[in-house]
Amino acid sequence: MAAASQTVVLDNGGSTIKAGIVRTDLGVDDEVRLIPNAVVRSKGDKATFVGHEIGRCKDYTTLHYRLPFEKGYLVDWDAQKAIWDGLFSSEVLSVNASESSLLITEPYFNLPNIQDIYDQFVFEEYEFLSYHRCTPAAMIPYGQLFAVEGLQLPECSLIVDSGFSFTHVVPIINNQIQWHAVKRLDVGGKLLTNQLKEVISYRQWNMMDETYIVNHVKESCCYVSTNFFADLETCRLKAKKSEIAQEYILPNYVTNTGGAVREPGHELAPTDQVLVMENERFTIPELLFRPDDIGLEQSGLSSMIAASISLLPEDLQGMFWANIGLIGGNTIFPGFHERLMSELRSLAPVEYDIQIYRSKDAITEAYRSSLEFVRSADFATHFVTRAEYLESGSHAIRRKFGHWQSGNSNKSGERVMKSSSSADVVPQLSKKPSRSRIRTAPSTSSRRR
Amino acid sequence: MPPHKKAREQATRQVNVAKQVLDPEVLTKRTKRHLEELERTNYSASVTLNDPDSEPESSTNPKSKFRARQMVISDKRTFGNSKPKKKSSMNVRTAVLYRKGLAALVDESGISTLPSTVPSYLTATAPPSPYPARLLCSVCGYKGAYKCKKCAMPYCDMNCGQVHDETRCERRVI
Repeated sequence: MAAASQTVVLDNGGSTIKAGIVRTDLGVDDEVRLIPNAVVRSKGDKATFVGHEIGRCKDYTTLHYRLPFEKGYLVDWDAQKAIWDGLFSSEVLSVNASESSLLITEPYFNLPNIQDIYDQFVFEEYEFLSYHRCTPAAMIPYGQLFAVEGLQLPECSLIVDSGFSFTHVVPIINNQIQWHAVKRLDVGGKLLTNQLKEVISYRQWNMMDETYIVNHVKESCCYVSTNFFADLETCRLKAKKSEIAQEYILPNYVTNTGGAVREPGHELAPTDQVLVMENERFTIPELLFRPDDIGLEQSGLSSMIAASISLLPEDLQGMFWANIGLIGGNTIFPGFHERLMSELRSLAPVEYDIQIYRSKDAITEAYRSSLEFVRSADFATHFVTRAEYLESGSHAIRRKFGHWQSGNSNKSGERVMKSSSSADVVPQLSKKPSRSRIRTAPSTSSRRR
Repeated sequence: MPPHKKAREQATRQVNVAKQVLDPEVLTKRTKRHLEELERTNYSASVTLNDPDSEPESSTNPKSKFRARQMVISDKRTFGNSKPKKKSSMNVRTAVLYRKGLAALVDESGISTLPSTVPSYLTATAPPSPYPARLLCSVCGYKGAYKCKKCAMPYCDMNCGQVHDETRCERRVI
């Protein structure tokens, strides 16, 4: 059986697909391609764009989206197939599936019936030679997110994956996800954009149909405030003259094509329409930390991290607090990291050290870690070949991939690790035996990778 | 002794007139509806009927099986693929034609019948917040100190209260 000469890495996300090819024989990777995972119809251009074709769209107003993902899970296979066909064709990646292997990501707690359809598409429709299906967080330990000069990669880590559809907190021990402690918050980029649309439509211009534009507004203007009520007071007292208020010039695709934040001193043309962003700038991302602002009865991100860690073995909890990694588009909001640190500091026991690792590019972090995974020795043991699928079916594949249905985490794995960890990974172990020890380093620090 | 004059009629106090009790169930329904709206992909249902792509996402459409042929968009593009397309397998064709919503898929997967020790999509939800919710004015976004008597939406001061009454007070909350 021919071994695959290249591996296609597909980080299949709710809003963007991150895709590329690893050529194992050449040793050179292609650049990652970011493709919107949607079929978009533009009323202005009167055309439909599938996935990567969005680059040809001239008029971004009133775009109608058809997303294959619903609430984070792949339900619309018709649209997904169309997008993947375009992705694998000569217009984007030029993949010859029958000679390639595939690595594809799936959401956390993916439903077994949906997993079956993934298998069917990969092996029956596209006929890849072999494939591996996993969650984005499972790839992170192989990547560079936690890499620090001179220290080993941590064995226990906590990944915060905040994406388009929802936010998950995923603890990992020894490259195994601890499923019983994985928690989900139903606030994602989509909800934030829709909330922003509602607020703007009530207070200023009706933008309920302008998903693309409001998404851009959110990404350019919004930030996470560390001091919510203080910022709210500033906006109240000073209104438009406060440092917080920003004006966003809306694109009209006739004179100016791109929407942008207004620079101070920039002259407005008489036909320009302007959005004033004041407290919307920070009340929207605030929903990640306080979803009860809109009535969603779930705890915010920090409480969820604390709840997740409390479900893990007590002697390892300190290691999790010290190795928190952030991936996903929502973590790019300015101020996200500082706010999370300040909230976690009050939730964690005083003697534990808290370290939050950020990535150079949170959106492609899972993709880049997958590249390392494919090149590592582990990959060879993890993938499933087409022959195995045709013989044993989806059930066998699920067993091989290590799915969440297998029950509780490996308690035995934790015992084994405890005995070995005390010898080597001391720098990362941060539970202090006594409080009277004088600390020379600051107790909370963050590393930017 | 002259008969007691009838006590002077007074109109009932305004405070007592408008004392409708807003059912908390109604409130939760309204919040739930709002949250579901926030999860929608497109705000308005699409306009043109000619374009089969524009079918709104409804798997309960009774005619969907009948018109399934027309709704498959993945056949519409060939992307420069010169070799003739072979027929897809049965599984793939079924998956492509019959689109189910997430709720239907969750029901089908049977994860609600799993024993409570097995974690699943349903058990992984974040626990409810330990802190009480803080009210923000529905009009301007500042701290919402007062709530509308009729529809229980918070507002911060009289100006915002007036704006709320004029624009979106739901006098009869559905």
